[in-house]
Amino acid sequence: MKASSILGLNARAAQYSYKYNKARGKRIAASKLATFRMLLSNGIPTPEVYKVIGRASSLEGLDWGALPDSFVLKPSRGLGGEGIIVIKKRSRDGQAWITTNRERLTKEDMGLHVLDVLEGAYSLSNKPDVVLVQEYVGRHKAFRKYAYRGTPDIRVIVFNKVPVMAMLRLPTKESGGRANLHQGAVGVGIDIATGITTKAIQYGESIISKPGTKRKLRGIKVPSWGRMLSIAGDVQEKSNLGLLAVDMLLHPEKGPMVIELNNQPGLQIQLANSAGLRKRLERVEDLEVKSAEHGINIAKALFAAKFADRVKEKGGVRTISALEEIMIYGAKKSLRKKVVAKIDTGAWRTSVNQKLAEDMGLLADDNILWTKKVRSSLGTEVRPVINLRFKLAGKKIATPASVAKRKSLKYQVIIGRKNLKGFLVDPKLDPKDNKYSSRK
Amino acid sequence: MVRKFLLGLLFFGPFLLFPSVAGAQREATAESLAQPNGAEGALEEATAPALLADPTPAPLPRPDITAQNEEVVLQPLRLVIAEQELGPYWQNPIKYAIRSAVEVGVPPNTIVLLLLLPVVAAIIAGARHLVGLRGFGIFLPAALSIVFLAIGPVLGISLFLVIVAVSIFMRALLRRIKIKLQYLPRMALILWAVVIAVLAVLFSAPIVKHPDLTNVSIFPVLVLVLLAEDFTKVQQGKSARTAINQATETIILSLISFIFLTLESIQIFALTRPELLLLLVALFDLVIGKYIGLRLVEYWRYRKLIMKG
Repeated sequence: MKASSILGLNARAAQYSYKYNKARGKRIAASKLATFRMLLSNGIPTPEVYKVIGRASSLEGLDWGALPDSFVLKPSRGLGGEGIIVIKKRSRDGQAWITTNRERLTKEDMGLHVLDVLEGAYSLSNKPDVVLVQEYVGRHKAFRKYAYRGTPDIRVIVFNKVPVMAMLRLPTKESGGRANLHQGAVGVGIDIATGITTKAIQYGESIISKPGTKRKLRGIKVPSWGRMLSIAGDVQEKSNLGLLAVDMLLHPEKGPMVIELNNQPGLQIQLANSAGLRKRLERVEDLEVKSAEHGINIAKALFAAKFADRVKEKGGVRTISALEEIMIYGAKKSLRKKVVAKIDTGAWRTSVNQKLAEDMGLLADDNILWTKKVRSSLGTEVRPVINLRFKLAGKKIATPASVAKRKSLKYQVIIGRKNLKGFLVDPKLDPKDNKYSSRK
Repeated sequence: MVRKFLLGLLFFGPFLLFPSVAGAQREATAESLAQPNGAEGALEEATAPALLADPTPAPLPRPDITAQNEEVVLQPLRLVIAEQELGPYWQNPIKYAIRSAVEVGVPPNTIVLLLLLPVVAAIIAGARHLVGLRGFGIFLPAALSIVFLAIGPVLGISLFLVIVAVSIFMRALLRRIKIKLQYLPRMALILWAVVIAVLAVLFSAPIVKHPDLTNVSIFPVLVLVLLAEDFTKVQQGKSARTAINQATETIILSLISFIFLTLESIQIFALTRPELLLLLVALFDLVIGKYIGLRLVEYWRYRKLIMKG
């Protein structure tokens, strides 16, 4: 990978944070209370806030016993997960509360902690702060085996409505149950297209399995993945932040919930995904993305991990002829069509005839990833690039494909080099294959 | 930050004068600082006739400077040196100004160190953006390097460590015994403990008999105490681990700056080609301000990604 694909601190500040993040958005991201209000007014799921403690005097009237048995005490402007107390249950005698770290806390302990927070012990430069008493979100069963005590969270970095990179953060013993990479939590890269984990890191070094066990960290399927992506896109649209990380928890029953926004996302996510963020940001920077759904389609087409390729390469190289019958999948599940495609190693991108794309419902607004100008013998024309899924010689491929308008296109689909990894092309045309060819 | 910087100038300005008075007793700093003195003396002699024939530089530039430089904070300093910093002359104005200033009695050390201050600041900025060393902002490492210059790096670092240790200890203690204090009183109490610790170090002078110990003036100590405040802030805002990392990086940065400040060739260069030096520094600042590539430590952090091909 080129060093210029990687996003460093200099570029993050100069090219993205300053440029795309407006003051209002930053103010919202800096305060969890403001974040909560923003999410609530936009109908985005977030853990309920039972109480906001803004002054020491309101602490006296607070009846801890009236709260649900599990809750979270959180400084509104806390940094890096500091100052958060997670109460899991009441103690047996009912006099105290037990944290997820199995500490026993009394009313007085919690009161002292609240005073600490109000005084600004956990906020930057000691500004007075506010305490949120928030709903506790337990672990989803999909993560139960992988996380140590705390609740894992999922971070999706969104830029220009496109989810560009994602990571699952698992609390460990070293991190004290917190999902913060600097404190020793494990970061696991997630494939944007499928929601399946790929690689894992701890303290910036790559690891295979959960520390101290043999439990592999790759191949975990994150539940409700599609929903998470669309929530993340929605949040970005509503937040006035061009580039941000959306942190979500997965509630066992209620599904994904947003807990925090971050306008200066950490850069270790690149190690966890073994991919460069700068290159991805550059690819989506100038695209005109219409909606969050559209952004997801772009992300799935552009940033899918190459599982399938890897499997195929292990299975050996497959030989195909210059003309191959492929199966094209339409917008609806029931819609599929067999056509003959020309394998063209002289072209980079796969292209599809406009008529065919239209018939298959692939020219719907949110399936068009972007448009590009193409210069041909007929002058300049604007061609849409769509998300195309097809099956070639038994291999399913999802790829951006350009839509060609030419009526004289002999084959309705031309498959370019980009999608021919793992294939060998036999240039000899079998005469009997030619019967498929049709002139449109 | 700007406010602090000016405040800092106020603090360490006076003790810049101090080495030239007591310089003979110090080893590391005295030698290097005495040298430009000598060089300047030689220059003065060589150009003395010319200066005598040209009496204009002193009175003219005064009004320009007050309009351009820092507002009102630097009165005592400005009275001594700043009046001649930028002359109206198109050709080597600064050189003229320096010569006449020194003639009137401005210690050349002060001028050299002032001229080198932007260089140190540029080094620190470069260390952040090109290398990835962080430290506490830009003022603290710069001030610390001057402190090292004044009281020597060994004593400087040990005083720094003592102060940091005491402020950590005090904070932990206040936390442990659950005394709830407002921010300023709490900082005042930490300062109280720091002063006692520094005094204890000074009181050890009769036993240790290190020459550095007897020459400690108040200003370097004040700068060090300021440092303790920043350290505590980071420690509270982030974690003790980050604070210690940043403190170490601050020491490394200021040691580099300190070595830089003591290099004779650079001091002479600053005195003889001040225009060139200032211009180069400004250019360097502009260039690193626009640099958006990876920092050196990031190349290391992402080495596996880069090597992946």
